[in-house]
This record gives sequence, structure tokens and C-alpha cells, in this order.
Amino acid sequence: MLSWEFPPRVIGGIARHCEGLAKALVRDDHEVHVVTLDFPGSPSYEEIDGVKVYRTATELGHPNFLTWVLLFNHFLEKRMADISQQVEFEVLHVHDWLTAFAGISFKHHLKKPMVLTVHSTEIGRAQGLHSADSFSIDGIEWWAAYEASRVVVTSHSMKRESCDHFHLPWDKVDVIPNAIDTTEYNASVDRGVVRARYGVGWGEKLVLCVGRLVPQKGIEHFIRAIPLIAQSYPEAKFIIVGEGWSRDYLESVAQSTGHRWKILFTGFISDAEVIALMTSADVLVIPSIYEPFGIVALEGMATGVPVVASQVGGLAEVIEHDRTGIFVHPRNPESIAWGVARVLSNSDHARWLTQNAREILHKTYSWEAVAMKTVEVYKKAVG
Amino acid sequence: MREDPSSGYSSGPDIPDEMRLLCMLHNIGATESGKSLTIQQISEWTRMDTPTLQFHLQKLGELGYVQFVRAEGIDKYHLTLDGIRKVLSIYS
Repeated sequence: MLSWEFPPRVIGGIARHCEGLAKALVRDDHEVHVVTLDFPGSPSYEEIDGVKVYRTATELGHPNFLTWVLLFNHFLEKRMADISQQVEFEVLHVHDWLTAFAGISFKHHLKKPMVLTVHSTEIGRAQGLHSADSFSIDGIEWWAAYEASRVVVTSHSMKRESCDHFHLPWDKVDVIPNAIDTTEYNASVDRGVVRARYGVGWGEKLVLCVGRLVPQKGIEHFIRAIPLIAQSYPEAKFIIVGEGWSRDYLESVAQSTGHRWKILFTGFISDAEVIALMTSADVLVIPSIYEPFGIVALEGMATGVPVVASQVGGLAEVIEHDRTGIFVHPRNPESIAWGVARVLSNSDHARWLTQNAREILHKTYSWEAVAMKTVEVYKKAVG
Repeated sequence: MREDPSSGYSSGPDIPDEMRLLCMLHNIGATESGKSLTIQQISEWTRMDTPTLQFHLQKLGELGYVQFVRAEGIDKYHLTLDGIRKVLSIYS
């Protein structure tokens, strides 16, 4: 398995996906080797629950992003060449375009099939191709999908997007949803203590938003909904968890709402703290404008917080409106405010939503199910 | 959305200059104390002048994204873990 991120190098959903899948494959008696990039403080090799993890340092750098990507792929190739002296790989599983170069060259070197999981596309992330780099990344994504024996995506909307944009044969692409380990979300949490830690008192509503602070997550629209929510719930507090390059801009938008003192940007916080906050919140808002899957929805459902989400991409497949969560229109603060009010105004209905959500979660989104489906894809790739 | 921090040809949303520098520091490998770089070395890589670099590095330090180590009287800069995460959030 090749991925540019793997815990503790966790940024988006790819690291968690690779970790969950790799561990479940090992539990199913498969041998899994993960080749990834280094992270300060982490060993260059370790075994985690049977998963062999090789972290690779990039010995040469370059200020240009794409040049840096090419360079680290070279070092991944070098590491894989060393590993392949002792290990006979049967399938290469590449996650997203960032490690495509190493995957493709090794596919040709080893004469083994390559499976590509497309977690998202450049044209989707960027809502268009606006720069030379974007065009280049789009081309690399196409090339990786072309070279792959099988392509995996995490939702039907991503399958449509990938097949349309990359002109892939429909039957080359398999849909395997993301999953979570629900046991990690059953932690005993003192809600009062957690809320107090963030300045949320008794009787105050805690409205939570978790996501990278980048435009595709639609957090600006959530912030613009805050004055509307505050009209009905003046005691509500709003916590935005995550880091990203548009933080400065989002903080300026928060300033413009007139409710800045009710809004807290936490930056990056640990997984345990995210779970504690989700467990303590009254509602979780996912205002994305582009979301290939939306694993944060599963995380929210697992903690038992009612979820209000944009009806886009994978979210539209994970959530059933007014049964396991509430859908709102993307890029629409009025709609977001309506969704939040729908949850906050009726605690019985909110509780019913979370009960339904937990049932769906256990039935559909386990790593064991994902691993089983992935093995079927590997079998198709091997032929 | 993904904009090459070292290039000026993107028509995507603007990334602040200090974040552009943070990305460049990451990409050239200044990601831990053993790989920290002097302002002179950073200037050679980035083609940014010393006063500009000092201004941005001070801001990045205040934000907790960059820290420096002093060796033989010379300050050398590298990204913190939060700095690395910040850069990766731009790229992911």
C-alpha cells in the first residue's frame, strides 16, 4: 500500500482510511506493507497491529510543490526497491495521485497489478482547474487511473465523477465506502467538563463544525449562518475544529458576523479531543460544497451527535434525510440555519435521528466490510 | 484551490505570503531541528530578501508554525509539527 499520509501523519481522510483498511486486512490474514512518508518523531519502520509501516525520508527538496512530489516519489521507489528484495508483492494499492509515480513505475518493474483508490479529484477539490499545477495534477490523476487495473472510489457520486471526467469504463471502477472503528467513539466523556473547557455553559447550545479549513469544506457558509442561528438561539456557542490555509480568511468572516465572541477556532486538536467535543456537542454541521465521501459524518454518527450536512457527493449517500441526519443546501447559510434549528428545536427528534444513525453505521460502515470488498477488488486485479 | 506556493502563475485563491514561505520551507525539507536552515540558506532557496524573510519567519513563529534553534550564534529555522500539518492541509 502506498500513501503519502499514514498516522501520525494525518491530514485528511486518506491516513485514516489506509490505517483502517490495512489493519482489517491483517486481521483477515493478509500481509500488508504500507510505504509512506516520514513524520518527525516516528520510526522509519514499525509494525502496528501487524501492519508493516515503512516511513521514508525525502533526502532532497525543492520549493516547487510538484517538483517536491516527484522527488519524494523517487525516495518511495527506492524504499520499495529495497523492500521488494525480501517481500514478494502480489498487488500494489496506491492511494490518490501523490504516490502515483512510485506506484506506476513499480507496477511495471514488478509486473504486478496496481489498484488505485481515488479519494478525491483535483477538479472537484479545486472546483475547476484554475492553474498550471491543477492541470498537471488532473493529468496525473487520469494517468494513474489509466495505468491501474482497477479503480476504487468511496461513493457512487465519485464513481460518476471519475468515469465522466477520466473517461473510465464503468466496470473498471468499484465503489467501496469508507468506514470507522466505532469502538474508538464509545469513550466515556463528561460532557459538562468538556463543554466547560471550551467555555460552553449549562443551558448553552454547542454547535460544532469539524473539517479542514479549505474552501471545499464550505465552512464560510456555516459562519455566515451563525447570525441567523443566533436569532433563535442567542445562547449558542460555535466551535470550528480544524486547520487549513484559509483560516485567516474564515476568521475575518467570523469577525464580520458581529458574533465573533461566540465563535472559537481550535486549530488542530487530537483525535481523542475531537471525539470528546463531538460527544459533547448538540449538533454537528458539515457544510461541505465538495465531499467525495465525508467520513466526518460517520464519526459524528458514531458519537451520537445529530448531523446536519450539505446534500453533496458522498454525504448524500451516507445520510438519509430526516431519518439519520438533516440535509441542507450547500453554499446556503439560510438552509444551514434551518437545519440546525430543526435539530435544536426538537430534542426527541434529534435523539431518534442519532439512534437510527448508529444502527446504519454498525450495519454498513465497518472496516471488516471494507476489507472484504477490497480483497474482492484485488482478486479481480490479479485475474 | 491547490496553488503552487512557489509559483506566480496560479489563478486560484491567494495564499498569504507567509504561508507560501511555510510551504517552501516544508518542500525543501526544513521539517525538524536537524534539518533547520539559516536565513541565508532559506534566501538562496526562495530568492526572498533577508528583511522579508525575517518579517515572515517572525509571524510564522508567533503562529507556532516555525521555531528556531541557535547554533554557534546563528539562528536556524524549521517547521513545527503544527507547521507541517498546516502545509499538508494546503496540499490535501
